[in-house]
Amino acid sequence: MSLILNARRLIGRRVRYGAMSLLSAAALGLASAANAQAELYGPVPENPQTGGTLEVGLLVEPPALDPFHQAADARIRVTVLMYQGLFYESADGEALPLLAESYEISDDGLTYTIRLREGVTFHTGKAMTAEDVAYSYNYIRDPENGSPGAGDFAIIDTVEAVDPLTVRFDLSEPNAALPMTLGNKYGAVVPAGYFDAEGAKNRMNAESVGTGPFKLVEFNPNQNLLMAKNEDYWEEGAPYLDEINFSFLPNSASMLIALRNDRIDLVALSRPQDVQQVEGIEGLVIERFPSLNQKAIDLGSETEPLGDVKVRQAISLAVDKQQIMEAAIGGYGQVIGTMVAGMQERWGVPLEELPNETVDIERAKALLEEAGHGDGFELTLTTINGYDWMDPAAVTLKQQLAEIGIDLNIQRVDLGVWINNFRSSQMGFTFNDWATQPDPNLLFYRHFHQKPEGADFRNWDNAEASALLDKGRAESDYEARRELYSQFQTIMAETVPTIMLFSADHIVVRDEAVKNYVQHPTGWYYGFARTYLDE
Amino acid sequence: MGLYLLKRLGASLLTAVIATFLVFVLVRMVPGDVVAQMMGQAGGTEAEAALRAFFGLDRPIYLQYLGWLGDALTGDLGQSWTRGMPVAGMVGDAFLVTLQLGLMTLAIATLIGVPLGIVAGIYEGRPIDTAIQGFNVLGLSAPVFWVGLMVLVAVSSAFSWSPPLRFVPPTRSLADNLAILALPVVSLALLQVAAYSQFVRQNVVTALHQPYVRTAVAKGMPTRIVFFKHILRNVTIPIVTFMGLILIQILGGVVIIESLFALPGLGRLLLTAIETRDYPVVQGALLVVVLVAMVVNLIVDIAYHVIDPRMRVS
Amino acid sequence: MANDTLTAGRAAWTQRLGRTLRHDPALAFGLALIGVLVAVSVAPGLFAGQSPFEIDSAAALQPPSAAHWFGTDDVGRDIYARVIHGARITLSICAGSLAVSALLGGMLGLVSGYFGGLIDQVLGRLIDVMLSFPPIILGIIITGILGPETVNLVLALSIVYMPVFFRIARAGAMSEASLPYVEAARSVGLTDGAILRRHVTRNVVPLLLTQYMILFPLILQIQAALGFLGLGVQPPTPDWGAILEQGKDYILFAPWMSVFPGLAVLITALALMLVGRSLQHRINRR
Repeated sequence: MSLILNARRLIGRRVRYGAMSLLSAAALGLASAANAQAELYGPVPENPQTGGTLEVGLLVEPPALDPFHQAADARIRVTVLMYQGLFYESADGEALPLLAESYEISDDGLTYTIRLREGVTFHTGKAMTAEDVAYSYNYIRDPENGSPGAGDFAIIDTVEAVDPLTVRFDLSEPNAALPMTLGNKYGAVVPAGYFDAEGAKNRMNAESVGTGPFKLVEFNPNQNLLMAKNEDYWEEGAPYLDEINFSFLPNSASMLIALRNDRIDLVALSRPQDVQQVEGIEGLVIERFPSLNQKAIDLGSETEPLGDVKVRQAISLAVDKQQIMEAAIGGYGQVIGTMVAGMQERWGVPLEELPNETVDIERAKALLEEAGHGDGFELTLTTINGYDWMDPAAVTLKQQLAEIGIDLNIQRVDLGVWINNFRSSQMGFTFNDWATQPDPNLLFYRHFHQKPEGADFRNWDNAEASALLDKGRAESDYEARRELYSQFQTIMAETVPTIMLFSADHIVVRDEAVKNYVQHPTGWYYGFARTYLDE
Repeated sequence: MGLYLLKRLGASLLTAVIATFLVFVLVRMVPGDVVAQMMGQAGGTEAEAALRAFFGLDRPIYLQYLGWLGDALTGDLGQSWTRGMPVAGMVGDAFLVTLQLGLMTLAIATLIGVPLGIVAGIYEGRPIDTAIQGFNVLGLSAPVFWVGLMVLVAVSSAFSWSPPLRFVPPTRSLADNLAILALPVVSLALLQVAAYSQFVRQNVVTALHQPYVRTAVAKGMPTRIVFFKHILRNVTIPIVTFMGLILIQILGGVVIIESLFALPGLGRLLLTAIETRDYPVVQGALLVVVLVAMVVNLIVDIAYHVIDPRMRVS
Repeated sequence: MANDTLTAGRAAWTQRLGRTLRHDPALAFGLALIGVLVAVSVAPGLFAGQSPFEIDSAAALQPPSAAHWFGTDDVGRDIYARVIHGARITLSICAGSLAVSALLGGMLGLVSGYFGGLIDQVLGRLIDVMLSFPPIILGIIITGILGPETVNLVLALSIVYMPVFFRIARAGAMSEASLPYVEAARSVGLTDGAILRRHVTRNVVPLLLTQYMILFPLILQIQAALGFLGLGVQPPTPDWGAILEQGKDYILFAPWMSVFPGLAVLITALALMLVGRSLQHRINRR
């Protein structure tokens, strides 16, 4: 049996925020010297003040606060402060024990024995035990219970409480991403039997039953979400804020005006170009953080003539990612190849080693000629209503593709329509905007593995790539795993099921008085557990 | 009159039933339902089917509607599919916000628009009439949402002030409440003042041209008496009717202003409910919109009867 | 000689028009503005030298200047060119959708008012239902179902004012149907269809046309509002509502993106309203 204590690996971790923001770099430098707890949720401040209400602006309102039945990212962003899973997705892609304390993997990789943190209580006042953990994960993985996360947990055969502080997970096949799966995206540890009560799902919008640093006070539709400090939080001294009040503002114009007039202390902007408008306003600090999101062009092979790999390669060769990014988000991001910016260092292949990354109009034209489209053709690009970056990106792409004789029509659809196309694998030629948890298996498997194991939304149907994804999932050695995923990425760049364009930075604009907020690369608001007000 | 009102009420209820059925069908035709949104990328699974059954989305649509109608008739509008809150409560809260917005706008429109219209009508053709008419045309031409945006930016730039973000009912703090509603009301009122003044002016002018009014003036009846005896009475009925029209128009048309100023009103509730495919909330909110239009029309009708006995004949 | 009468007739006509315009400066002003708008819609290239589509990231978000009269937008397109080129698409959508509602609403109204009875009951109820939806919500649902394409936008907009045309045509047809000449026409063997076509319609059409002019500025504002919500025409087509939608996100930094298309809507609505009011005035007097 191999024992892994994740705390050990924390020592000497490189600080990657450094280039982004002086403040966060300094703070993180402190964190790496401290213990494992320091890394959870962000760097621990040295002399935090306690108290106060932080006013946060949100452009997208969470539809509900139920971590078990609601997949919306807007939900995850805020519920991570109230609910906790067994592990925490650290900024650079490791699963750190959260409600877990340590874990052991059996030699065949099929059994994970997890020791739980002591002294954890729910917001209800009840102490957390292994029974609660087993109940929570058994609930979410049962498809009958209708959780969007059920699929993620399908690899689990059984979850059992061994003793009050030990849980055992048995898997059907080895899966190196299990700890990351037991993170905070779907589900959480809630009191055993919680969902037996009628209306339990709905009650989560009125009161929280998690173990997190903040508790729900009120959640008013089209208005606000108020959280208060969990006085019984298991980490001594944390959190520092008394309250966080999230106000839902329906458009960035209202948001910026509220920010300028001191109605809001902090906002994480989803449109980096909004920043230009608050730059130079006294008392506001702007910081950039790398993200795990990707803005991409998807090429569904079901749509003629994208079924021809030469056509896809030609399009890839005609796309100038830098120019599109400049138009779309004014340069507040990073051009990417086959890996989101936040994971590039740990898992990505350097862009210069990937094929079809550099613009080459001549070769693109030649490829189209070979494919029998020398005279060009018409193609319809789908964009999504409400995704602001897509409009300027679309007109830029239209100009770029015109160079190789492709006449691009732009069609903007509602999100609901788009999701339907997406899920029925009828994506066509479309912009996409999605994010991942920091693990290559969670990033790639579902999207790109052949059916039926994966969803293969783009009808890529690539057996070689799928085999690599299978191996990568079972491998738990980092170096070996990295090699497998590098091979996978090379195939992806070669055959172009998708063109990942860029990752938009997370941009946080805050009042000077708001201290020690570090934005997690997922975009989730973990950082508020470490934030304090200096007034 | 009783029979007439009863008939009207019956017709209106029938309208409401048809309208809610149409909405019921139409919103279900918009692609992607609440389950698809809850599932995100994890679609096409057993879990999805389980959820759909939970919401009753797997049943034939007419059964779903009859179920909803039956509940609605007993006053139960169901629960929000995203929030789990009772729809009646959500819609009620939102309606109060919109109603306050509408009534305040109406009050301003009446207090400013009616005098303006009367003045313009009495001085028909004089410079003051031209000036008021000029204002009216401008007010009617400016898109409401654009005015709102400009007002918000102008006030924010000039005074470094913008409305508080959290809505406060007037019962808790009138000052805060007014601070929140001032700008949206001003933005909405510009159009309505213009519309009202325009309308009143027309009625005053028409009344002034009536033969008996001309005779009265010719006979030397004092202007004040002409005004109160003939003109005011003649324009009261249209003014009342118009009030109702304006109120309906405001209630149905505040969607964008509520979004712009982040007000938790009925329009914004409808908008977000359509976005999140929260069908029970869409149904409930639209039911209220339709019912309010009905009730206002009915009140206008009754007011007619009370003010003008001649109407009782018809 | 025939030529002489023609010139005389023309002279009389122009004289009459000249007199009308002198007496009604508002109408003159409105007509002049509409003239300009029509010219801009027909030949936008004459008024704006720059392309409304040409992207120039280096020149993004520039304030109004000699080179860019209305400034530039977020991808460096000339706002003046976009507003000028937007006139055609914006105005044709409004004109088209209003024409559809006048035609359909008018026809149904005529039938409903002329025949009365059950047809009138059923149609009246349907129109009531249509009236009970807030126009913007209706637009959102319809474009949501059918997809935000220009054709669907026209469809959604045409429903908004159909009830108004319906009621006017219905009232007109009802009052006509009760006139003695209809009875007389029937007695000489004319069918209802023929009476409707030849006589009733002729008397109702002027009412509908006037209403068309009166509603035009209102539909223009609703169209802009839908565009503002992102339900307008597809990018990169310039449309005033769509330009406003892009502009709202830059309101603090680049207010010119919102000010000028908004003014375009305002001025157009104003011109149409002046003409519409004058028309209505004339009809009422007659």
